[in-house]
Amino acid sequence: MATRFERQLEELHVHLITLGSFCEKAITLSAKAIQSQEEELAKLVFETDHEIEKKERELETLCMHLLLHQQPVAGDLREISAALRMLSDMERIGDQAADIADLSLFIDKTKVKVPDIIGDMVEATVEMVTESIDAFVKRDLDLCRKVIDDDDRVDAAFNEVKEKLADLIYEQNLDAKAGLDLLMTAKYIERIGDHAVNIAEWVEYSITGIHRNNEHQMGGEKI
Amino acid sequence: MTKKIFKSIMLVSGIVFALGLAFILGILYRYFDRELVGELKKEASYLVQGVEADGEEYLRGIKDKDARITYISGDGVVLYDSQAEAESMENHSDREEVKAALESGSGTCRRISRTLSEKTIYYALKLDNGNILRVSSTQYSVFELILQLVQPMMWVLLLMIILSGIFASKLSDRIVQPVNELNLDHPEEVQIYDELSPLLSKIHKQNKQIQEQLDLARQQQEEFTIITENMQEGLLVIDRYTMILSGNTSAWRIFKVKDQKVGSSVYCLDRSEEFRKTVEQVLGGRHSSVLLKMDGGYVQMLANPVIRSANPMGAVLLLMNVTEKVERENLRREFSANVSHELKTPLTSISGFAEIIQDGFVQPEDVKKFAGRIYKEAQRLIQLVEDTIRISQLDEGEMPYEWEKVDLYAMSRSVFNTLKDAAYKRDVHLYIDGERMICSTVRPIMEEVLYNLCDNAVKYNRQGGTASIILRQTPAEVRVTVADNGIGIPKEDQNRVFERFYRVDKSHSKEIGGTGLGLSIVKHGVAFLGGSMEMSSEEGKGTEITVIFPKEKV
Repeated sequence: MATRFERQLEELHVHLITLGSFCEKAITLSAKAIQSQEEELAKLVFETDHEIEKKERELETLCMHLLLHQQPVAGDLREISAALRMLSDMERIGDQAADIADLSLFIDKTKVKVPDIIGDMVEATVEMVTESIDAFVKRDLDLCRKVIDDDDRVDAAFNEVKEKLADLIYEQNLDAKAGLDLLMTAKYIERIGDHAVNIAEWVEYSITGIHRNNEHQMGGEKI
Repeated sequence: MTKKIFKSIMLVSGIVFALGLAFILGILYRYFDRELVGELKKEASYLVQGVEADGEEYLRGIKDKDARITYISGDGVVLYDSQAEAESMENHSDREEVKAALESGSGTCRRISRTLSEKTIYYALKLDNGNILRVSSTQYSVFELILQLVQPMMWVLLLMIILSGIFASKLSDRIVQPVNELNLDHPEEVQIYDELSPLLSKIHKQNKQIQEQLDLARQQQEEFTIITENMQEGLLVIDRYTMILSGNTSAWRIFKVKDQKVGSSVYCLDRSEEFRKTVEQVLGGRHSSVLLKMDGGYVQMLANPVIRSANPMGAVLLLMNVTEKVERENLRREFSANVSHELKTPLTSISGFAEIIQDGFVQPEDVKKFAGRIYKEAQRLIQLVEDTIRISQLDEGEMPYEWEKVDLYAMSRSVFNTLKDAAYKRDVHLYIDGERMICSTVRPIMEEVLYNLCDNAVKYNRQGGTASIILRQTPAEVRVTVADNGIGIPKEDQNRVFERFYRVDKSHSKEIGGTGLGLSIVKHGVAFLGGSMEMSSEEGKGTEITVIFPKEKV
């Protein structure tokens, strides 16, 4: 028979999975929003973001409650503190998805052709978020490492987008305003990738007890 | 138990020791007392004789001072005492023993000294001259006796404790040992103490009962496992906190997890929104079902709540892989759309031409041309219906054809003969490579198969291309390959060209013609004849389809 504490910890686990799946939904929808003309999609993203925030607050309360009432130690403490950090990362992912959706409303897709490379970036990022949550669900260290490594791909893609947009604006093939919006979108996507890395790092921490901060290398892809 | 037995033995020996001691002391004391009195009496009677013969002087001559001898006159005055000065002693006439002696001739009295440690026994005897002779002896009291016995008794006690301790522990061990060595798994075989038999037989009975219940439980568990493990459908049982309580191999396979996930949340298996909604709904107490799209397939999930005393306690999730069903449904939908389209096109033309003629818009000399078109479309329609009927017949396997020996080389020639004109029109060259090849088959079906293959090879060819039949045989089989170097079939369509009405060219262009049923007829025909087929094709390079039949009817 599980103790009350174990039950609550499991509850936290379930809620985190739910929150993770909300994040996946938000970013998948926002990815669709920038590529299509439908305004409904953006609205759905906002709704999801709202839900994410609600859930995040609820989970924060649960974590605090667990910390104060049960005073966990060792692995349990690690799991809860990692959960707290993951929460804030997930919440940021939701916010950024909402930002992307917001920007998508300003980009007139009938006139502006969204570069394919942004689509690739979105795909890679969605995969990263999904994998980081998978890593949490399955407690899979290899998957954590993969997410952390994949971030380089997204960072490289962002650089490419930046250059491509600069070229397009220079050649006057792209409205400068739309170009900036697209750049912002790419940046948000890149940030989401970073948050996925953070989540993966916290998952790693809750399993091994060692938190590695995978900082960008000097002279690397840091923007 | 050993302790208790040991204690009891010790206690019993202690009590026996104490009682024995008291008893012996009592007996000894009385015995000594009696002996003493007897001795005093004897001594007194000797002395009396001496005194009566020699008078007081006799007494003074006695050296033995063991006993105290007092000579008292009839009125109580002490005349002589062996241990004290007679003059200083008081009158003894009120002493008990003296009084008794004066009255009855002799008297005995015991007096306990003030310190309680000694007891003095007096015996007085009346002489013939009226004087009294008293002999007394001091004896230790019981109390003193005990005090003096304490030390030896202690030794005895110590010895007794040691001895009885050893015996008691050995004894208790020996009593308890068979009980300790009881084999409770088979109590019926044990025969030690009769007193234990009812207990043992009860244990035996209960053992049997427990074993039976365990067997029953195990059997039920096994039955359940056999049922669930052999189910194609996945089965999951979850509690109301979404925790997985049990699941079968199929469930893990459907969710593509390697190890069992019992004990973790069901959301670990799938966290998609539809899945979560369904689980929430079922844990809310309502039956629900959902079609989940997983990578590479569809899974139908039926969720049933487990309700106990009006509260949902968990849920049973049944998962079925319905990929095939969903795909078949899609195919059927496509087929219906196709068949309506194929039937409608000629009918529309026919109806259109007929309408124009009816309305009289057509010059009389053109009526013939229009009738020709109507005839052509009607022929096409008939062909379509015939093809469809043929496929259904092949499908049902109820063709009334007879099996006979057929020369495939001759048949190939006759097929090419039929296609000669069409090939000429498209500038396609026809070749046959091979020799006479006899095979047991159903001629019309075989013809149909060959014709359709060659027809396609000619139709989907290019200007100046070739279509060839290559005949090869092994002792058991014949292999007929129809090859062309025409337009080929794109990779993604290769699996589907055998479906009814499926066309690579979705526009169903009329220039090529055909009903979209050719390869479907080939497929069904080959299956009917018990053969198999191979296809290799590359877009732009050509197609090669080989049909393989056994030489004799199977």
